[in-house]
Amino acid sequence: MAINPKKHEMPVQSAEERARNFGEVALGYTPEIAVAEAQRCLNCKNRPCVDGCPVNINIPDFISRVKTGDFEGAYDTISLSSSLPAVCGRVCPQETQCESKCTLGIKFEPVGIGRIERFVADWHNANFKGEIALPESNGHRVAVVGSGPSGLTCAGDLAKKGYKVTVFEALHTAGGVLVYGIPEFRLPKDIVSKEVETLKKYGVEIKTNVVIGKTLTVDELFEDGFEAVFVGSGAGLPRFMSIKGESLKGVYSANEFLTRANLMKAYKKDSQTPVMHAENVAVVGGGNVAMDAARTALRLGAKNVYIVYRRSMTELPARREEVEHAEEEGVKFEILRNPVEILGYNNPENPRDQKNGFVRGIKLIKCGLGEPDERGRRKPVEIEGSEYELDVECVIMSIGTSPNPLIKSTTAGLDVNGRGGIIVEESTGATSKQGVFAGGDAVTGAATVILAMGAGKTAAKAIDEYLLKN
Amino acid sequence: MNKIRFAAVEFPHDPKVKGNKYWYICPFEGVKEGDKVCAPLGRRGGEQSGVVREVVYTDETHAPYPPEAAKRIIKPVAETGDYEIVKKRSLNTTVTLMEIYAPLVAKKAEAGQFVILRVNGEGERIPLTIAGYDRSAGTVRIIYQIVGATTMLLDEKRAGECLSDFVGPLGCATRTDGVKKVCIVGGGVGCAIALPVAKKFHELGCEVHSIIGFRSEELVILEDEFAACSDSLKIMTDDGSYGEKGLVTQPLKAAIERGENYDEVIAIGPLVMMKFVVATTKPYGVKTTVSMNPVMIDGTGMCGGCRLTIGGKTRFACVDGPDFDGFEVDFDEAIARSNAYAEFERHSRENCLLMKERKNNGD
Repeated sequence: MAINPKKHEMPVQSAEERARNFGEVALGYTPEIAVAEAQRCLNCKNRPCVDGCPVNINIPDFISRVKTGDFEGAYDTISLSSSLPAVCGRVCPQETQCESKCTLGIKFEPVGIGRIERFVADWHNANFKGEIALPESNGHRVAVVGSGPSGLTCAGDLAKKGYKVTVFEALHTAGGVLVYGIPEFRLPKDIVSKEVETLKKYGVEIKTNVVIGKTLTVDELFEDGFEAVFVGSGAGLPRFMSIKGESLKGVYSANEFLTRANLMKAYKKDSQTPVMHAENVAVVGGGNVAMDAARTALRLGAKNVYIVYRRSMTELPARREEVEHAEEEGVKFEILRNPVEILGYNNPENPRDQKNGFVRGIKLIKCGLGEPDERGRRKPVEIEGSEYELDVECVIMSIGTSPNPLIKSTTAGLDVNGRGGIIVEESTGATSKQGVFAGGDAVTGAATVILAMGAGKTAAKAIDEYLLKN
Repeated sequence: MNKIRFAAVEFPHDPKVKGNKYWYICPFEGVKEGDKVCAPLGRRGGEQSGVVREVVYTDETHAPYPPEAAKRIIKPVAETGDYEIVKKRSLNTTVTLMEIYAPLVAKKAEAGQFVILRVNGEGERIPLTIAGYDRSAGTVRIIYQIVGATTMLLDEKRAGECLSDFVGPLGCATRTDGVKKVCIVGGGVGCAIALPVAKKFHELGCEVHSIIGFRSEELVILEDEFAACSDSLKIMTDDGSYGEKGLVTQPLKAAIERGENYDEVIAIGPLVMMKFVVATTKPYGVKTTVSMNPVMIDGTGMCGGCRLTIGGKTRFACVDGPDFDGFEVDFDEAIARSNAYAEFERHSRENCLLMKERKNNGD
């Protein structure tokens, strides 16, 4: 039988329809499509895809099980390596990881590994009725700071080894960026809470409303009897550009805008948390978070949403699929543009005018591309005199974050780098402080969910070795 | 002869009366030993969370307490949760005091820090500055003004009921080092936050002068508490109905001109008041600290909603503050940003009132 050169299409909500609702964009494979897609896998000997996966899921094995219809078996294979399969199947950038290494991909489109993974996880969540086999407790206690992707992964891996793990979360809900950052239409919150519930079944205890560095310190965790601490506290303070007008009403950081919309459900009519429903919105930045913010703004009713990015389409750091989805939904790309100033409304005749102090536009300057920088990306060069104004009432700054200061400022002996990221030994996640490990955005600055999960996994292995040794 | 149901109630969260039992008339059938109830306690009309220790159903002659003098249990409370309201007391028509059982927060809380709470599982996160704490009882005191939908919902809660979330202590404590003589300026409900600051300086042996201002007599709160920790106390009202007529800046200016030589002035109140306190002290170069309370969501340095311009730089009230050098704060910007959701808040407040009205009418 000839191999289908193309991946099976992912069924999606139509662009016109989904751009106005918060339902999930991708609808997922049916069992028939999943089996057919699995059959495209060559089951090659050298299995390069496994190396492409930051948590080294045994991809050919789970795909072989899908081929035979053993979906639960496939799930078991994935769970050996990943604590959050339904999440990864949705938000991992597979095109630059496992799928980029796929042997089939040399000649044709690679196997849709992410889509099959997602199918398997969803199938399990919908159909699994059995009991989880609980590991025998080894009596050791580990504290995990933060319930985002790195923390949950670390907690899951350790719990499966028999550790008694407590996760401390600052917010009122577990999930970290998976609940406050990534929008419902890309990662339904029900999926996250199901994954969290699964971890609880493994004995992981989750304590919300505890801010490590404030409510309790890392040293107090050790005094309380925890033998190791994993810090996965995530990215911190949003960056701004220090241009004029950033304090006007209607300027958000992407974190604030997305937190209001996702965590606080401001998109629902009866929500008690407000969010601006602007007609014209500019999102500054070109990463996945910028795409999420732009697409959320559309769904909140915006007519025109612009992505303002200072390089060209080829340099956009966001996943291609996200950029394509955004374009299909009608997000406009103002590329090779840099903001110079955010313009505010000011009625000199009437100082009590309700609109005073709100955003009325953004002034952009056109850019060309110059020499490549140290990372090989061509530097934007502003073209003098090319400024122009764009009429918007809302500006969302999505230009990254700097690490949260709460833990480093209250933990003696924990070294951080010049940007405030916790310094770790890459192969173990070990920090300068004994018994303290770290991973995810708290170490790297803003990165991806799967990289954070990989770091959580590395640290779990290192914590296990560290505690066995002592 | 009519029989009356009495219940003996203990208040285990209140260290002052713990172990004592008080008899109440219990108008609720089915209340039994071990049940949690909300009951009035104290002279000032507050209510507390108590536990029923004994129930008797008897006639007047055998009553354990004279029925005409006995108070009534307000309501039985079935609800349990992590953050119980152990005490609630109205300070004036729009300001309420609550003590919340939150031992981890109480253990670390310092004057100047704040908490974030949610009333219920669907609710908004609101920041409230800590108005006091009792480490041994494990309680944190908050004092809030009923201004929006969330504070209205909060005010519907009774002692014994629980908040869905309560996290803290957040932000940095008020700095006290090197201060020997301080002037605390509080305005309106801001006095609730100014009080623990005044207390702290008093306990450290500083000379504390307090100036507190309100719109009118019926809004005056915490007078006795301020008097207890201040070497001098001046009360100002806008309309002169209590204390002296005028603004807090008047006695402040007079004191500085008199040569009071404050090491520091700490102003806590409405943004406009703090702006004018700074305008008063700046010409004399008296160090002035203000406590900022901007819009906030997570309170831990993630969302950036609480940003302020301090000395020309972006700072975050939740991790860098809430106290800032008053001379550096861009007040006009903070004032403009504070009403970003005025329209939304008006709507949700009206909705909330409407719902309340319907509930009261039994619709």
